[in-house]
Amino acid sequence: MRRGIVLSLMILAAPQSLQAQPRQSVWDGVYTEEQASRGQTLFQQSCARCHGANLAGTFETPPLVGRFIPYWEGTTLDVLFDYVSTAMPLDRPGSLGPSANAAITAFLLKANGFPAGTKEFGSGKTISFDAIRPKPQKKSAKPQ
Amino acid sequence: MDRRHLLKNSLALGGVMGLGNGLSGCAATPPPTGPAPVKPSSATPWMDRPPLLAPVRAHADRLFDIKVCIRPFRTKGPNLDVERIGDATVIHNYGHGGSGWSLSWGSADMAVQKAMSFSPRKIAVIGCGIIGLTSAITAQRAGAQVTIYTRELLPRTRSVRANGSWTPDSRIALVSEAPANFGDTWEQMARMSWKTLRQYIGMAGNPIAFTDHYYLSDLPQGETAPLDPDVPPLPTPSWSGAPTQDADFARYDDRIRDLTPRTQILADDANPFPVKYARRGTDLFFNFSEYGHLLTSQFFAAGGKIVMRDFHAPSELADLPEKVVINCPGFAARDWWKDKAMVPVRGQTGWLIPQPEVQYGLTYRNVNTLSKSDGIMVMALEHGDMKGYNNSDETVNRAESERAVRTIAELYSRFPNNPA
Repeated sequence: MRRGIVLSLMILAAPQSLQAQPRQSVWDGVYTEEQASRGQTLFQQSCARCHGANLAGTFETPPLVGRFIPYWEGTTLDVLFDYVSTAMPLDRPGSLGPSANAAITAFLLKANGFPAGTKEFGSGKTISFDAIRPKPQKKSAKPQ
Repeated sequence: MDRRHLLKNSLALGGVMGLGNGLSGCAATPPPTGPAPVKPSSATPWMDRPPLLAPVRAHADRLFDIKVCIRPFRTKGPNLDVERIGDATVIHNYGHGGSGWSLSWGSADMAVQKAMSFSPRKIAVIGCGIIGLTSAITAQRAGAQVTIYTRELLPRTRSVRANGSWTPDSRIALVSEAPANFGDTWEQMARMSWKTLRQYIGMAGNPIAFTDHYYLSDLPQGETAPLDPDVPPLPTPSWSGAPTQDADFARYDDRIRDLTPRTQILADDANPFPVKYARRGTDLFFNFSEYGHLLTSQFFAAGGKIVMRDFHAPSELADLPEKVVINCPGFAARDWWKDKAMVPVRGQTGWLIPQPEVQYGLTYRNVNTLSKSDGIMVMALEHGDMKGYNNSDETVNRAESERAVRTIAELYSRFPNNPA
């Protein structure tokens, strides 16, 4: 986790030449509102039974907000998508199709405050899961 | 509770003991008058007569907790292999099925011996269930500085959703898939665990204790109680090679017969329960709260550290500062390590409000109870070892626990002083 924070800070503080390198993050609008909305419906049908309608989890079931972020920080989004696709729902793992799992992943991003964009999230992408929110615009517009 | 006092009461009633008179519900019976009672002639020796037993208050509304776990069953037996991930050496220690609490210290000893052969100063342990925690403490005792990386602390791991009895060969491997030498490995583990557990017996709070267990039946020994009509049938196995009966699961308990007492058949006049057939054994069990607290305290007292972290790919282990890693993820190994030999085996326990005066467990009509410091555990056993196989539904089935409580309630309702 610490490594991820350090890495993010390094990138935020990196010279313009380094920042210009192509790099997608969960902050870049990697899903659409409509996709997350579909994902929310699917979540309520297949996931809420254990994780709760508000994603808060239970004593036994992990929450999908809050500590969810540090636990996935430093990975790439395809790892999360693969986990959702193969390990979940726990009682019938792998039973949902790629489109459904992508929509559920989009909903998880939305529920954790990551912004929507104009392009739907699909499988196989490499998008870094960064926990650090961008600094306020006036500061982030002036990287050092 | 003073067991000698109970025993004395029980013996005072010995001359008039009949069916069911062993329960404390009969404590109001006036003492016999007149000539001293004649010592009864019984097939059960005098010293083995059960003490007065307190009844379990078996009401569904006293179920204050229901826990569901997934046993980390591995068809080939626990994974104890060593592998390299980047520049890290990973010693696996997972897949102990329904035997984790029992085999933990022995399995930890094997893993730590492998780890110490690399002469590390620091060791990482992944996971803080009972296998991870005992591995960490064993590594400390071997001289290493230990950090546990885990996504949950012990009270929220699947370990503490277990039954918590000494069951060292409960769903530990399939006969068809266990390695040829696994029996030897298992015996070494079981004996090492037994010796280590023995050190915790008698400590304050009874982290580990012995208790009598009554096996009760309306049918002669060997005949199986019929299933209640509302017990759902087992699902049909969905793949070839799946076990279909208890005999498909490996059993090794014959190897350690010297460690535990045999069950005794209780003669009619020594049978405290209103059933025709009764046997009694004495079992070791774990009081999760006290034992878990003790182990965690021991880990911290020896300088251990815990880092809250989740892992998603084996390659992440190479990034840890410790280059010797003992891997104890439990069932999570199925998804994290893509271990196809891992099969979920669902188990559910209901917990009635603790009754310290109840100092025994019983098995009756496919229901198992065990009185512990943190509650009276009630567990449905129908379908034997096949129950819950390949079932990873971790949501609570309250009807199952309530049915089990009703079965026990019916048993106690047979006592003559109970109008039900």
